[in-house]
Amino acid sequence: MIGLIKAEFRKTTTTNLWWGLLIPTVLLAAGWAAVTGALGNAFTDAITEGTTAQVVSALGVDGERLQVALFGMARSINVATIFPMIFGGLAVSNEISRRTITTTFLTAPTRGSALTAKLVVYLVWGAIFGVAIGAAVSLGTVLTANPGLLPGPGGWLALCGVGVLLSILMTMLGVGVGALLGNVVATTTVLIFYMLIIENGIALLLAVRDIPGVIGFLPNGAADGITGSVASAVFLAAAGPVPDDIVEAARVLAGAMGAFDWWLSALIFLGWVAAFFGGSWALLQRRDIT
Amino acid sequence: MAGQGLSGGMRMYDGNGGHYAGQITVEGLTKQFGPVTAVQDLTFAVQPGSVTGFLGPNGAGKTTTMRMLLGLVTPTAGTALIGGQPFHRLGRPARIVGAVLEAQGFHPRRTGLDHLLVYAAAVGAPDTRAAELLQLVGLGAAARQRVGGYSLGMKQRLALATALIGDPQVLVLDEPANGLDPEGISWLRTFLQSFARAGRTVLISSHLLAEIEQTVDQVVIISAGRTVYQGRLDHLRDAQQGRVLVQPSDANALVTALRAQGITRLEPAPDGGIAVLGVDARLVGDIALAAGVAVYGMYEEKPDLERLFFQLTTGASGAGLAQPGYGQPGFAQPGFAQPAFPPAGFPPPVPAFPPPGPPPPQPPPGWARSPGDPHGLQRPPADVEGGGS
Repeated sequence: MIGLIKAEFRKTTTTNLWWGLLIPTVLLAAGWAAVTGALGNAFTDAITEGTTAQVVSALGVDGERLQVALFGMARSINVATIFPMIFGGLAVSNEISRRTITTTFLTAPTRGSALTAKLVVYLVWGAIFGVAIGAAVSLGTVLTANPGLLPGPGGWLALCGVGVLLSILMTMLGVGVGALLGNVVATTTVLIFYMLIIENGIALLLAVRDIPGVIGFLPNGAADGITGSVASAVFLAAAGPVPDDIVEAARVLAGAMGAFDWWLSALIFLGWVAAFFGGSWALLQRRDIT
Repeated sequence: MAGQGLSGGMRMYDGNGGHYAGQITVEGLTKQFGPVTAVQDLTFAVQPGSVTGFLGPNGAGKTTTMRMLLGLVTPTAGTALIGGQPFHRLGRPARIVGAVLEAQGFHPRRTGLDHLLVYAAAVGAPDTRAAELLQLVGLGAAARQRVGGYSLGMKQRLALATALIGDPQVLVLDEPANGLDPEGISWLRTFLQSFARAGRTVLISSHLLAEIEQTVDQVVIISAGRTVYQGRLDHLRDAQQGRVLVQPSDANALVTALRAQGITRLEPAPDGGIAVLGVDARLVGDIALAAGVAVYGMYEEKPDLERLFFQLTTGASGAGLAQPGYGQPGFAQPGFAQPAFPPAGFPPPVPAFPPPGPPPPQPPPGWARSPGDPHGLQRPPADVEGGGS
């Protein structure tokens, strides 16, 4: 198994795909974080000036102490994990398209062992992408957000930690979907369209129909819940006692509308990963490689 | 260990019921792709120490059979074993079997060396083996070139190097000559023969007998998913022994003399000649001399393997080719047409020497023969002559 893992790792490092996807990942993460950092500044300015400031103070909230930057960070992390997800999606589908899967299966004791080795390697790659995303998001946020709006070291670490976790899970989801579809174009299209457009449409529909509780069970909803829940929890902990309305608003801002706690969201997402992975495992075991 | 003793020596037992480590056994192998039967009840065995040709026209089921042997395609029925085990139970398969397959891909952005390093890691071979193999297959200079820039022949060489990465006992090659230049084919031939001489197994497929005729020791010939011949190539050649076309002064006297010597595989040739099967010209000449029959002309005809292969694979599906019957009465052996002797343009042969006893049944066309069958090969009409595959 060590040999197979080494082989799979070499597969990823001997082509350009990893850095070809890491560059846009870092750029998107830093850029998105910079923009949301600036938006956070504007938001804070709005609630600490004029009549709004009085309303906010009346609610018992100190606008200057709100770590608004957390929301932008959570959302930036979520958006950027699209890339490691695609990276994972190409793991098996690219081998099927290029027919290198034949040699892969000929040199592995079983198809399952080849797939397991891939899983381990892409888990590591998911973490590498996750660390890069965390660093890029932090950099982008620091560049634009007012220092007062930044989270403390504990909150920052917690958010980056779940960011790495999310990146790993997204990569795994990609591997599962890619292995299931077995086609590069189909995998990429399905992953991007579903995560960016289709599920957001479903979420909107569910929110309008006032059943947002379902969102947290969907793949993207669960993914958002992992980082969003941590971001809003850290935010609320720093903000001190706040009314329930603010709590809900904070979760919506963090992109965790209808989502569960971060660990529960992670488990739900893991369930999706396992479902796709199990399906592709069963399919690949039987698939005729012609 | 005891197992079913197989003919041969005592080398390389793997402890699995007495199968040789490098033996390939295919039994009742069948593959159905939807309504299409790609392989039907195929049975053959390949022994270590030889190069076995796997022959059949395009679409005969060669590739599917090889992929079933390699665990890439699941058989509908039957088994395909290497060393007595199905592929997925080989443990470290690349140490047992290496394969060069037609639809085997390379990542175009990966260099040849990187490609081999990937699979060296997978099979647990040292990294140095990658560079060694590239040298062996003649790709040393192209090691750091991306595979996307390789020619078809270079890709075939790289595929062979990949197949060898685990130092396997068995090599399975699907049409490896495709894209190779004559020099490459000659090199491959030498390599495969020395590989087999080291007691290993080579199974090499082709749709052209001529392409591998000089490489292989034995052949498995399939047609429409069934085995039509399995055995040594020289046995196939012998099975189709040459015949002697003789133009005697007294045909009936010569026939009688030949029959008296136990030579009964006779057939009429045009212009009062006789075709004598399975003997050499010298014997016919001696008998004619002893019988006092003058011989006006004699011509020894050797069978053409390529034509034989063509007939085998285009004829009706057969249960297997055996030696054409020896010592059987009957003369209507249509196995040969009339090249050279007698000269072209003569009328088709007409039975001239009815054998003693009741006349034999007319041979059916095609190749569905069983051992002892008195009839030989059905030669296609003369107008397709020279068009063998």
